[in-house]
Amino acid sequence: MSILLRNIIRFVLLLLLQVFVLNKILVHQLISLELYMLFILLLPFNIPRPALMLLGLLLGLSLDMFMNTMGIHAFACVFMAYLRPFIINILSPQGGFETNMKTPSMISMGVSQFLIYVSILVFLHHLALFTLEVFGFGNLGYLLLKILFSTIASLVLIVLYELLFFSKK
Amino acid sequence: MEFGIWSLEFQFNKVRNLVIFLRRYFNFFLFLLLEVICIVMVFRNNNFQRTAYLNSANTVSGKLYDRYNNVQYYFHLKATNDSLVTENARLHNMLRSSFDSMLTGNIVKTDTIRHFSGDTSHRLTGTELRRYLYREGKVINNSVNRAMNYITIRRGRLQGIRPNMGVVGPSGVVGMVRSVSDNYAVILSLLAKSSGTGSNNFGVSARLLRGREIGTVYWDGADPGYAIMKDIPRSVKLQKGDTVITSGFSALFPENIPVGYIDTFALADKSSTAYTIRVKLATNFYNLQYVYVIDNLLKDEQQRLEDSTYSLIK
Repeated sequence: MSILLRNIIRFVLLLLLQVFVLNKILVHQLISLELYMLFILLLPFNIPRPALMLLGLLLGLSLDMFMNTMGIHAFACVFMAYLRPFIINILSPQGGFETNMKTPSMISMGVSQFLIYVSILVFLHHLALFTLEVFGFGNLGYLLLKILFSTIASLVLIVLYELLFFSKK
Repeated sequence: MEFGIWSLEFQFNKVRNLVIFLRRYFNFFLFLLLEVICIVMVFRNNNFQRTAYLNSANTVSGKLYDRYNNVQYYFHLKATNDSLVTENARLHNMLRSSFDSMLTGNIVKTDTIRHFSGDTSHRLTGTELRRYLYREGKVINNSVNRAMNYITIRRGRLQGIRPNMGVVGPSGVVGMVRSVSDNYAVILSLLAKSSGTGSNNFGVSARLLRGREIGTVYWDGADPGYAIMKDIPRSVKLQKGDTVITSGFSALFPENIPVGYIDTFALADKSSTAYTIRVKLATNFYNLQYVYVIDNLLKDEQQRLEDSTYSLIK
């Protein structure tokens, strides 16, 4: 399957999963289940940065359309997409990641590297998302707890997703 | 002459430097541009009354939610049925035939013909005017765990829904219509986090059933089952379980629709003059299946009169 087709399918799949499954599950007021941003995280290494940000905007706006949160998810996605190359640069070994591995995954980056990469970006995404959603630091403790717990929940979901759609290629 | 060429070259250099600068930081500027677009969207959306197109009332997401609800609805039939029967019982208890007048000299005549005929003589002799018109709507999407929660219903502009109409459920207040498309409408739920002040906040004008004191009920963003009521003076005797109803002051809701029941109440500090009351909401937002959209037929008239009065004062 070509990279393009794979990513288009992933885009639709993650969006539907987010809107019709994860948004319907109510765990706790402090935990909101977010998985859709995995699409940005799994785009190929060599994608141009403007394209990365525009895809982030597209993904965010699509989700905003379903959730009536105009611009909030788009903001968080663009923020994450902008910072992605920096995080990859920091984490990459001397010669860059193996060139035959085109997309970030547990195999191409190594389990611990991948988890660090994912957790930093998911945390930044949640930070932007919930700060903008709550709008204001009036209830700082609540905001921080929500970011923390939601990040943990997202990480668990991402690991599950990776294990489910495990490709040995 | 030489000076002219020199300055031209200088100008050119400046432009080239600018271009180089822009190209080097292109990504950053694109990032800033996109974020500014997003922020503008967020704040335009926070402006009430606006009809937005990119929301769950549009054709794509509306249809998808509709399909999803067709399946999901089946699993809630029991709870939906129970809530509708409870509501029916409540309405039966309000019917005039449920009351017996003990005064024999005082015969109550109930003229129901006027309500059911459009004929002119009846309309002329009648003194009652229809003020509120209820329309039912099927809930096809709902959320409770966000800071701002929205409900999508299957009834829109073509079926008589307009922005800024009040919405109630079988047991109490639900919210207000935010934006409409042809066949769908998005409702801003009472579960919209606000601080209770300012124009951008959604609070319901409410009063105590017993003492008739007026206050505002709003949601603080914590628990979807509870809201906060303020502006009740400390001189009032409160009790746990007291009913809070709509005041009828805002054009959104008629009087006497339940908002909730007092759970706990406290004074913020010794010097404060008003209670902060925690209200258990009458509406269960977790399993909302049907709502009623209230059309206030006299709203425009009231609005015009108030506006013209204000402009006279100015």
